Order: sequence, then C-alpha cells, then structure tokens
Amino acid sequence: MRKKSFDEALHDLESGPEPTEESGAPRGESADASSHPSVAALRGRFGDAVLHHTIFAGDEHVVYVPPERAHELLQWLRDDEAQRYDLLTDLTAVDYGGGRPLEVVYQLWSIAAKRQLRIKATLPLNALEIESVVDIWHAADWLEREVWDLFGIHFRGHPDLRRIMMPDNYAEGHPLRKDFPLRGRFSRAEQTRRSLSMAVEDFYTPDELGAAGGAQPAPGVARERAPKDGAPKSSSDAAGVSGTPGRPNDPEDWTLGTAGSAAGGTPGPEGAAT
Amino acid sequence: MGVAERPMLPTLSGSGGEASILTTRLDAVVNWARTNSLWPMPFGTACCAIEMMASFAAKYDMARFGMERMSFSPRQADMLICAGRLPYKMAPVLRRIWDQMPQPKWSISMGACASTGGVFDAYSMVQGIDTIIPVDIYVPGCPPRPEGLIYGILLLQEKIRGEALSNTALRHEDAERTGRQNLPAEVIDQLALPYGNSTNQNKLSGLVSTAAIARPADRQP
Repeated sequence: MRKKSFDEALHDLESGPEPTEESGAPRGESADASSHPSVAALRGRFGDAVLHHTIFAGDEHVVYVPPERAHELLQWLRDDEAQRYDLLTDLTAVDYGGGRPLEVVYQLWSIAAKRQLRIKATLPLNALEIESVVDIWHAADWLEREVWDLFGIHFRGHPDLRRIMMPDNYAEGHPLRKDFPLRGRFSRAEQTRRSLSMAVEDFYTPDELGAAGGAQPAPGVARERAPKDGAPKSSSDAAGVSGTPGRPNDPEDWTLGTAGSAAGGTPGPEGAAT
Repeated sequence: MGVAERPMLPTLSGSGGEASILTTRLDAVVNWARTNSLWPMPFGTACCAIEMMASFAAKYDMARFGMERMSFSPRQADMLICAGRLPYKMAPVLRRIWDQMPQPKWSISMGACASTGGVFDAYSMVQGIDTIIPVDIYVPGCPPRPEGLIYGILLLQEKIRGEALSNTALRHEDAERTGRQNLPAEVIDQLALPYGNSTNQNKLSGLVSTAAIARPADRQP
C-alpha cells in the first residue's frame, strides 16, 4: 500500500476514505447445500431465493437471500416444524466500503435443533430499505433501531424507528458507514454546541420521566415520540414539535451554526427550568 | 460515690480554664476547612473509574485526606472527578451535574480521555471536558494509577490553600453560563484539530517540538 502524505492523511481524517473498485462478491468458500439441513430445506422450498451458500470460518453457514424475500424466508425458518429458529441471536449490518452494498445480517439459533444459521441480505447503497422482522422476533426491535441509527437502513413496518445510540438531535448522518468521516461532519465547536443544546429531558419520553417520579417537562421541551394511536396527544403538544411526530430526528429541523438553541429545535436547560 | 471532676478540655493557650483565643487569617481557617473535607462527586464513565474506586477503597484509603464520603448527589459535593471518556451524549449530563453543585466547587479531569479525548479522536467523543466545564486539575495517565489520582487531589488541596476570599472572581458563577459550554467555539475548534503527529500539536499550540523525537516527516513543509 502506498504511503500517504501528511496532507492526504489529514484529508482522509476529515472527509472519509475514497471509494475503491473492489467487487462485492460473497466472502467465504462456496458450500454444498447438503452440509446444513436447513439450507437444503431452504433450497427445496424457496429455490432460487437462496442466492449463495457459503461456509465462513469452518462451520458458519451463511445464506445470501434477496432483500425483498428475506421476511418471508425468515418467517418460514421460525415457523416450520423442522427448522424452528426461535431465537434471533443478533441482527446487524456490515459496510465493506468502497461503494459496495450493505449487508443486513440475521444470526439465528434454533433452540430445538441446536443449530445456527446466518442469513444475509445485500442492499445497494441507493436502496437501503428492508422489511422489518419485529413481527417475527420481538428482539429485533432495538436491534433494527440500532442498525437504522448507525447505518441508515430503513426497516419498513418497524413500530418505532428512531435513533437509539446517537442523540436524538444528531444530524450528521449514520456514523458506522464507511463513507462517514471519522470525526463526524460538523466542527467540534458545532458538535459541542449541539450536544449541550439537548436538555436532559430530551433523552426520555414524558412517560419515562413520569415513571421516574420526575416533573413533567414543559410542552415542547421533550420531543414528542410516535404515539400509539398515530396522533399527537393535544394541540399544545403538537405546537412544540417540529417536523413529523415519530421522526424527531429530521435533519431539516436543525440549522447549522446558529447561536443559542437551533431553530425549531429544543431549547437549552434554561428553557427546561421555566 | 463522689462526682468525678470533669477533666479540663485542652486549650490552645495551655494555661488554666479561661477562654482561649487563637488568632489566624480568615483565609487560612476557611481554606483549612475546605481542604480537609472535600467530598467527591464521582463521574466515572470508563476504566479510569476502576482506578478511582481503587483509590477510595481500603488499600489507598482516600478517607485519610478528608474524603470520607463519596457524594452521589451533586448537591452535597465539593469536587467533581470526571474519570473516563465523555461522549457528546453525556456532555449535557456532566454540565447539568456541574451546574447543580453548589459553590465552592472544584473539578478534576482524570485520565487522558477526559483531559484531551485521548485515543478517541472520533465523531462521538468530547475532546477534553474543559470544553464543557472548568477544570482545576488534570491527572494524566491511561488510566492513572491510584497514586496519580491521590497526587492530583493533593495538588488540588494545595491549590485550595492558596485561595483568597477577597478574590470574588474565584467563586463567581454567571447564571447566563448555565448549561453552556466552557470555552468559546473558536477555541474548541483550534484545540480539536491536529496539526502535527503529536497530540500536543494543535492549531492553538502550532508546530511545537514537545519531545526528543523530532522526525522530519512530522514537520509541515
């Protein structure tokens, strides 16, 4: 690898790496379907929906499926009497960089058959959308929120898709993507200003604050979460909310570089005290 | 059975039972009291907190220095110890805790990450808690050993002994600053951007040779 000059290295730190020309071929060696009973059954039932089957690290069977059929296939894997993958061990995503597609990874475990299987769905960067599996495994709820937060993959049908790791007012994008610059997109001063413009109340829903015995925050201080019935509780609540309820992190709510609290955003702690 | 005569309390003048008077400077006696009853508010976020706990445990026994009680409420604390890295998500929490502490108050930034961001020069991490709250003592190390933290606290005690009540600026707090960052935006930017290969070289300090290692490749043309 060519040694980078100081200027190039500094540029990389601030802007992220350039795309490379590598292909997105599946990793691991190709495997025979008969080496894993579930893969053989999948091939028998879904046919060409099983795109590749590879073995990774000795005994890790990976099945690549098209994203539009992933939900149907996973539902079958959980419900079929011979498979019964009733435990979603992990749901995550991988970005291999260089403009290659993102991979959503479902790590399944069958308690009954003591078998594990890894399902991967590849999503091109211009269509980062896949069906949510919260209706199959409840465990997918926070995992899908995390994948959305850090990779920007939208899960269709997720009941409450909002950020879980990054702050609610985070507007720099999705940090685990390879095209995300290491230090983020805003200057340190702007990042500091934004983080301090979050009131502590912003980290919790009004329900959570009430459960903790705390005072109810003033309307407009705590951001409205997506209510179950799909409508804001009252008009006064709705007045304090910028953007669509349920999507509190719309970057367009936040203007860059304004002094004090951002336009349409949350007021600072002074506002919380009143 | 006779009533035992009450023993005389020791007096500073040492003579008889009359009221004794000790003359001293007000600064000296106030600082003496403050120095020896520093109640720490632990703000442990990472591995430094483990060393902080070790400092407070039996072997190193911070109680020897007047830190008998860890104060888990900021309202009864004198000294904030930020032990570990501070993500931006925690920054408003740290600032809120600092604002809740009553004067007089001091703060210690424990470890490389709390002081400068350390190796976490990434999107999620505050590059030094002094951008968020004022800091009195920086304890270097990754993490510092308990001896290091104790030395930092002894230095803080030394600093408190030198304070003067007449200096009103020392304990002055501006209500406007509540919940706000500690440093101006330009300074935060100048501190954050590296300028050379050394962590000591930023846009504020410029290219300063800080060690014996001075490789030509480290220098800007």
